[in-house]
Amino acid sequence: MITRKKILPYLLVSPYIVHFLLFVAFPVVFSIVLTFHKWNIIAPMEYTGLNNYVRLFNDKTFIKSMGNTLIFLVIHIPLQIIVALFLAEILNQKLKLRGVFRGAFFLPVIVSGVVVTILWQQLYGFDTGLFNRLLTGVGLSKVGWLTDPGIAMISIAVMATWKNVGLYIILFLVGLQTVPAQYYEAADLEGANHWQKFFKITLPMINPTIFMVVILSTIGGFSLFIEPYIMTGGGPLNSTVSAVLYIYKQGFFYYHMGYAATLGLFFAFIILAVVMIQKKFIEKDH
Amino acid sequence: MNRLFINIALLILIWLPLQSCNSGNQSSDTRLIYWCSNNSYEIQFAKLETEKWNKNNSNISVKYQPVPEGRSSEEIILAAVVGKTTPDIYSNMWQGDVEAYAQAGVLVALDTLNGFMDFLSERCDSEVIEEIRSLDGHIYQIPWKINPIMLIYNEKMMADLGSSTPPQSYSDFFRFSAKFQKDVNGDGYVDRWFGYSEVLVTWWQRFFDFYPLYLAASGGAPLVKGDKAVFNNEYAIDVFKFLRMLYKKNYFSKEQLSARQDVFLSEIIATRFTGPWEIAHADKFKPKGFEYNFSSMPVPDDHKGPKYTYGDPKNIVIFKTCKKPQVAWEYVKTLIDRDGDLKLLELTNQLPRRKNINIDPYFGNYFNKNPKMKIFADQSKYVRGTDASPVLKEVFDLISQEYEACVIYGMKTPEQAVKDASDAVNLLFLK
Repeated sequence: MITRKKILPYLLVSPYIVHFLLFVAFPVVFSIVLTFHKWNIIAPMEYTGLNNYVRLFNDKTFIKSMGNTLIFLVIHIPLQIIVALFLAEILNQKLKLRGVFRGAFFLPVIVSGVVVTILWQQLYGFDTGLFNRLLTGVGLSKVGWLTDPGIAMISIAVMATWKNVGLYIILFLVGLQTVPAQYYEAADLEGANHWQKFFKITLPMINPTIFMVVILSTIGGFSLFIEPYIMTGGGPLNSTVSAVLYIYKQGFFYYHMGYAATLGLFFAFIILAVVMIQKKFIEKDH
Repeated sequence: MNRLFINIALLILIWLPLQSCNSGNQSSDTRLIYWCSNNSYEIQFAKLETEKWNKNNSNISVKYQPVPEGRSSEEIILAAVVGKTTPDIYSNMWQGDVEAYAQAGVLVALDTLNGFMDFLSERCDSEVIEEIRSLDGHIYQIPWKINPIMLIYNEKMMADLGSSTPPQSYSDFFRFSAKFQKDVNGDGYVDRWFGYSEVLVTWWQRFFDFYPLYLAASGGAPLVKGDKAVFNNEYAIDVFKFLRMLYKKNYFSKEQLSARQDVFLSEIIATRFTGPWEIAHADKFKPKGFEYNFSSMPVPDDHKGPKYTYGDPKNIVIFKTCKKPQVAWEYVKTLIDRDGDLKLLELTNQLPRRKNINIDPYFGNYFNKNPKMKIFADQSKYVRGTDASPVLKEVFDLISQEYEACVIYGMKTPEQAVKDASDAVNLLFLK
């Protein structure tokens, strides 16, 4: 006989199970089914076999969007680590108003991404933007921060770094504070300079934090969307179309739901592969 | 007791969300639901028209309501179609969306309703009727209102350039632009341009540059016919050449100026391609002494014949979920008869798509009071909507991609860009 004691645990976990089935399991299974269909939402689904997969490998814009995402990651991740670590090092010293500075650097993290993007759009403006005014003020040429196809993605990466760096400063601060002070004292006795202490003690000791930052930045970088969506719309010449933006456009601009699902699935496997490789590195390091 | 309490709580939890899905605004045999646009002027129009109908028709009433809030009305309609919660009548349907809905079988073929074709023929030119006809030969939309894209210009600036009229041809446009362009702050960069058009690659931005210019140059030629691209022609190439020169010579800014203070009213630019909605905006925000006017789109130097433009048509449809389509049509007739059209003009300052509206004395009083709207009414004889195609957004997207490469960045010749866009569109139809 089923007792109340036996039912209760299931009853308690049932909201999560229902939520999981409705909002995780079903969409995933449905997306996989969609990849074999053509569907614009309003008309019935049409089975197309592997057409969406064939199209994916011949889609130059998608391949470009993957390349753009990679460019973003290559700029963004090292920049994020260097800037965050540099600032964390400074904020780890006994400074006046240290708490205020820590708060100030963290502030962009809690500001809406849309607001930050619109603000930077103004800063990057060709004619009236602050950066170009500064450049022309010192006699340099203006830069097409968002209109030059060779520069636009770099501009977006710099902005994304500014937006997120506060979070990574906090992570590095935690890492730095776990380094035992006696290591530095011993190094001081041996006559080590600041750089030697940094490279021989600090960096190896905070390695796990660096790996965590790399993983978080990678996942965040793969989901690049708001910045190009608002600032450039993917232009100029598709130089800032990220993979997620392209998938979104296919799904919600053109209602190519089957194709968007195929792109999404493929992209999910790419992320999975990258994270697995990173995991291998971390395990090897440990 | 506890078990009873849990069961009741669970039932309420299940019932509440289901109940919230039911809007309480379902149509029935005795009531029609009409979704209008959610701007306050159109809500007022819908309110007055509905009250009039309900007063005279006690058997079947109409309930109007603004289209529910969302990122765009197109998305709301799509969601309603998917969820089978469409209203009986919807006004403000973009003409370019109709073909996809027609092919999905969610719209009523209006030409099967009694009296529809007679009424339509009286209201619209045969050209308009052919334009709105779907690929299957039926008509699923009622032409309602248009916002023709024209050239707005600063009258004082034109006078400063030694002309009382704005440029009419491409050569004129270049000449005016060269004279007007200036580095005002002396930093070595142009910061006063003759015109501006959004440089974003978003497909619908081409409704404000390439497409109206193409229609003007070609005398209203289509971009696609059935499942074939038909724009690989001299007109499209001329338009690409014209626009490319504007950017190459820096007569138009490549920067996104839309996030700044209105560049037309602050006299940073002298012209812009825009619609009649600009009148209310300009009159409200223009500085003292600022005078502006409208003119037709510029055309190639050797152009002959009328100058067409894009009309940005918004139409009325009846969804198949409607239980009384004939009655719905009778109601729609009251929205678009002469009285309804005049009311639309007076309340919303939007132009009904009615033939000879510019010379019909019934509307004369309105146009005497609103002379700038008369310019749009005069243009209304020569407007085009969009071609019937279920993949119109993709067509414009493909054109927009080539537009960016050629016009903005000069990486392709106009001939190559137009050919590539045309080939890509034909490939799209093959898929």
